[in-house]
Amino acid sequence: MRDEEVIAGSLLEDACFTLEELARAAAVSPEWLLARIEEGLLAAGGASATQWRFSAVALRRVQRMHAIERAFDAAPELAALVADLLEEIDTLRARVERARPL
Amino acid sequence: MEFKDYYQTLGVSREATAEEIKKAYRKLARKYHPDVSKEPDAERRMKEVNEAYAVLSDPEKRAAYDQLGRGYRPGEEFRPPPDWDAGFEFSGAGFSDAEAAEFSDFFAELFGRMGGRGARRGSRGRGEDHHAKVLLDIEDAYRGATRQIQLRVPAVDARGRVTVTTRTLNVRIPKGVHAGQIIRLAGQGSPGLGEGPPGDLLLEVQFQPHPHFRAEGRDLHLALAVAPWEAALGAVVPVALPDGRSLKVRIPPGAQSGRQLRVREHGIPGSPPGDLLLTVQVVLPPADTPKAKAIYENMARELAFDPRAEQKTEDHA
Repeated sequence: MRDEEVIAGSLLEDACFTLEELARAAAVSPEWLLARIEEGLLAAGGASATQWRFSAVALRRVQRMHAIERAFDAAPELAALVADLLEEIDTLRARVERARPL
Repeated sequence: MEFKDYYQTLGVSREATAEEIKKAYRKLARKYHPDVSKEPDAERRMKEVNEAYAVLSDPEKRAAYDQLGRGYRPGEEFRPPPDWDAGFEFSGAGFSDAEAAEFSDFFAELFGRMGGRGARRGSRGRGEDHHAKVLLDIEDAYRGATRQIQLRVPAVDARGRVTVTTRTLNVRIPKGVHAGQIIRLAGQGSPGLGEGPPGDLLLEVQFQPHPHFRAEGRDLHLALAVAPWEAALGAVVPVALPDGRSLKVRIPPGAQSGRQLRVREHGIPGSPPGDLLLTVQVVLPPADTPKAKAIYENMARELAFDPRAEQKTEDHA
């Protein structure tokens, strides 16, 4: 590919990934995701698995949970708890940023 | 190419047991966790630690590394002999292609042939998705932008060995992006296996800090400086948007500092577009001339105004 070629990107909207796409994007298996959804560790909207759609926030959560499970041989529930806490830190950091004078 | 001492990276001896290596890795994984670490350069250090662990936690890779690295010191110039890895069967250590692509050239040279493919998880030959971050200015969200992105990608050479090369992509980013959003570049991830299609490249958008504006989703925040008489009497003031356009915004009479004014659909474009949120900041003219002082003194005499009246009422309650 020539360097000068310009590739157009497509913007993914908030609920953009199917289960298969989320699994691929996070480099985990669909079975890994299904097990965590069934345990309530990862939220999935929609009545059936074929209707589920996941956001960029869900992708971040899956990457975090997977990294924690792998690095520490952590139980999925513990990795989900760590992901909850990291998400809470994200929220608080955003609040600090909002409080910063413009 | 520089020799990397993976034992030194993990802070263990060459005789360390698998359990000691795992323990050292976990300690460092906690220390350099990119979400919480206070260490400078935590993300880079975490990659180094992951790379060292990918080698030392895998018995075959560790054995090959030990045999090859005997006598080398960290940072020393290193070139592996041809076919040094004959007799070793590498099986991967749970790191994906995309993650292994972020490892060093040293890793790619030694273990490139197996990459992370031993760990590929059932995607029917489709290449893995890659991830990168793209740093944009808020102005880019209004206009769209073209950014040059450099990626490290595995490529197979004539001898069948996988090497990591740097690939440059010029990417057009459509207008309407907001922080945290993902841009998909179809087919720009890892090549597929056999007839399998390539993976995608997923770019996560981040904004550089802007001296005036702050974005939250598609909403855009701006402090709006106003003179005391504009705030007290009401006024129509110009507001410059990031795309260079100018809006006229009506300030209602009696607007105090901190009051927020919402201008619908003038935030980052999209469907629906975000709002522009203006926070009023009353700026006092300096009392640095006799005339300016006289005006303030006149106000003090003529206006029955106590800014702390509410506070006093609360104190006595």
